[in-house]
Amino acid sequence: MNMQSVLSSLEKTNLRYSMFNDFLKNGEQGNSKFLFSAKDNLTSKDFETCSGSRILEGYHPVFDATAIAKMREAGGKLIGKTNMDEFGFGTFSTNSGFGIPRNPFDLERSCGGSSGGSACAAAVLEDHVSLGVSTGGSICCPASFCGVYGIAPTYGRVSRYGLIDYGNSLDKVGLLSAKASDLSKYLPIISGIDEKDPTSCVQPKLDLKKEKIRNIAIPKEAIDGLSKDVMTAFQSSIDTLKGMDIDVKFIEMPALKYAMPAYYVLATSEASTNLARYVGMRYGHQDGDLSLKFDDYFTYFRSKYFGDEAKRRILLGTYTRMAGFRDRYYAKALNVRMYVINQYKQIFNEYDAVLTPTMPFVSPKFEDISKMTPVEAYKADYLTVPANLAGTPHLSVPCGYDGNGMPIGMQFVTDHWKEDLLLTMANEWDHTFDMKRAEVSL
Amino acid sequence: MKIGLEIHVQLPTRSKMFCSCPTTDADAPNTHVCPTCLGMPGSKPVLNKKVLEYGIKLAKMLGCTIADTTWFSRKTYFYPDMSKSVQITQYDNPIGYGGMYYLNGRTPIRITRIHLEEDPGKTKRVGELSSLIDYNRSGIPLAEIVTEPDLKTPAEAREFLGQLIQDIRHIIDLPGDGERSIRCDCNISMGIERCEVKNVTGLKNVERALTFEMVRQTKILKAGGKIDRETRRFDEERGVTISVRKKEFEADYGYIDEPDLGIYHVKELANSIKIKESPLNRSVRLSKEYGLDEKTAKQLIATSMELTDLFEEVAKATDVQTAKTWIAGVVSANWKAFECRCSEHLEQDSTRNGILEIICKYKAGEITDTECSLEIKAYMTGKDPESVQTESSDLDSIIGEFLIANPEIIEDYRKNDKAINKVIGYVMKRAGGTYSSTDVVCAAKKLLQEKI
Ligand SMILES: [Zn+2]
Repeated sequence: MNMQSVLSSLEKTNLRYSMFNDFLKNGEQGNSKFLFSAKDNLTSKDFETCSGSRILEGYHPVFDATAIAKMREAGGKLIGKTNMDEFGFGTFSTNSGFGIPRNPFDLERSCGGSSGGSACAAAVLEDHVSLGVSTGGSICCPASFCGVYGIAPTYGRVSRYGLIDYGNSLDKVGLLSAKASDLSKYLPIISGIDEKDPTSCVQPKLDLKKEKIRNIAIPKEAIDGLSKDVMTAFQSSIDTLKGMDIDVKFIEMPALKYAMPAYYVLATSEASTNLARYVGMRYGHQDGDLSLKFDDYFTYFRSKYFGDEAKRRILLGTYTRMAGFRDRYYAKALNVRMYVINQYKQIFNEYDAVLTPTMPFVSPKFEDISKMTPVEAYKADYLTVPANLAGTPHLSVPCGYDGNGMPIGMQFVTDHWKEDLLLTMANEWDHTFDMKRAEVSL
Repeated sequence: MKIGLEIHVQLPTRSKMFCSCPTTDADAPNTHVCPTCLGMPGSKPVLNKKVLEYGIKLAKMLGCTIADTTWFSRKTYFYPDMSKSVQITQYDNPIGYGGMYYLNGRTPIRITRIHLEEDPGKTKRVGELSSLIDYNRSGIPLAEIVTEPDLKTPAEAREFLGQLIQDIRHIIDLPGDGERSIRCDCNISMGIERCEVKNVTGLKNVERALTFEMVRQTKILKAGGKIDRETRRFDEERGVTISVRKKEFEADYGYIDEPDLGIYHVKELANSIKIKESPLNRSVRLSKEYGLDEKTAKQLIATSMELTDLFEEVAKATDVQTAKTWIAGVVSANWKAFECRCSEHLEQDSTRNGILEIICKYKAGEITDTECSLEIKAYMTGKDPESVQTESSDLDSIIGEFLIANPEIIEDYRKNDKAINKVIGYVMKRAGGTYSSTDVVCAAKKLLQEKI
């Protein structure tokens, strides 16, 4: 049966795609009902958890993240921790301390980030679901690049207990799978209030039999800067949606262009405080001259084991919350966030969903990524960031392929707690769209 | 001279501020810890709502405005005993601000703010090269009360702190060792720049540290020098303050809102919380209502709130003079014994009612004052009336004989009530051990009062 064959070939598969940091070797399926993997920033008792960072190398958590615990309770077997950008800092999963996951459609290209390993596992493994985490688009981006379905729920729908924080007010645990139906199957399992995480909310239950998306708004601002292939695929998808009896209208959404700077200010402000605990003292990796004064030791350790992108974001985040700058950046970004939320709310008064492509281009080649400046890389997230800033649920579905066969995705955003609309959409789309799976040869 | 205090009060919750670890003393270091108070990746703080309640009670006691919504902030700094290198505290909108506390019911001391925060762990130096860290204290809830620099002398600061602590203990039921669970940062300036003496424990030390600073700063100023703005610590053994760091640059904590915790709408909670009358307010009210002098009022309250309750009950049932005579006399003298005997029931009026009934009988003329005294004593100590009577008549005759032999003592006593000590000294020498000191004092007082 294919569960066992997935388990027996895991080592070989990983050798080819580098999607896991740590995984089950020679595992037996036992009486498990399904296999799942989880992004490496979700703590688990049985695997090393490093959040893609060398600063946490060797760290074995003493507790399971709530999402993982719930998947296990439902009969799932955790087969590995998927590779990611260090602490979630990136769009291409190239900022990991532990190798770079490779796109199943082209090994020279990125899986997207930061849940790159999860998207890769969803694309490559048979009948697989992976827990991903989104802060600014880290589920939808890799889902789009790897041609699979990905959903990031409303902030607060899924407990963050056991999630190693990037930006606590933005982080959301979600799902990636090649099967649209898996999203509806597993999202209710990981959802719900958790007394261990005060931001997991009392929430409306997911009602999958509820109404469907009937009308969609497309912000004109989202169409600027798309690559030709993405534009073509997106346009033909719009036609398909119209054919499914869905109203599609173009609207103006000026808030979109302010979301990006506000996001980077808030996310890095929070990240810089979250990362302050990594000083080589309490968990994970330790080395160095212990006779140094403590601040010299901390400085040595953090300089050596944080990657460049982590350092960049710590500096940026520390700067934006410093006395004298706090009002200009951090406090202002909080206001912009309210502005973005309000604009979404206005649109949702009239429309069921906002639709955009997920990423402005198909997955780039590693050699091209290495030539990008940080700002260019940050800009790639301009379509995924707004919904994340607003805490609204969003879904990426595959919607086409470019001339090289690279997948293209589009992203639906609905109002808070309206994941049921997204899940119905995913299933409907799955029946209409002819999805291609990557060729997997070992 | 200006003195301002920052007072850290450990709140008496059973579990820590953000996790369920116990707050009781542990047998060994790092045993009352969990992923949250150790700051392990992925752990999340969950607020113990009791902390908000205590914060509101203290804010009310201090006459502060209580914010309708309150939230927490992250204060970032690197120190080994800080498990997350981030402390959860209140910055933008503390639980209370803009209060006033009346020292002795008169002198206004402005309260800047009161905020809630978690305690870090504890560092212990071991030899020259290493330190050990105990996280049992990490996450213990604290309230920090900040005053304006309205205190004028070290003695006044001590008096203020003493009254404040007594009030706090009463309002939030701090355990008996309440003073230990209070730490104080003392800010003092004689001129322009101020110095801060961190982490002083105990009333006496606060006064000592401030006095040392007063003298040190005065000397520098007199010699034409300048006071450096700096942080100092108090060496309890030597009674001196030592410079820790110069404050040329203010630390930048980069506060942001704590994103793991939400916003707390506390308006309703605050409205629903009623606080008890604080001891200070009570002593002010007792003076006004019953014409008690400040000293007696404070003594009553210091002995016990239940004794004070009884005083008020007796005063209402009889009159103020009767209440004063009996409550400040024999009842007060036997109170400790009474408390020990029925510690659990003291808060119930029925136990105290026995005393009230006896005094009422006396007031109605049914018993003499000697009988009244005996009955009260027998009731309070649980001894049988016969033996109380024998004891006290023996005691009375010993004292009576002594006074007859030494009439000058009575003369002395008219002018100076310390003369009573001669009587007490004599009895203790002659029959030491047979009678309790409170009995001796009480009987001597009674006989001397009768003779003058
Ligand atoms: Zn704990």
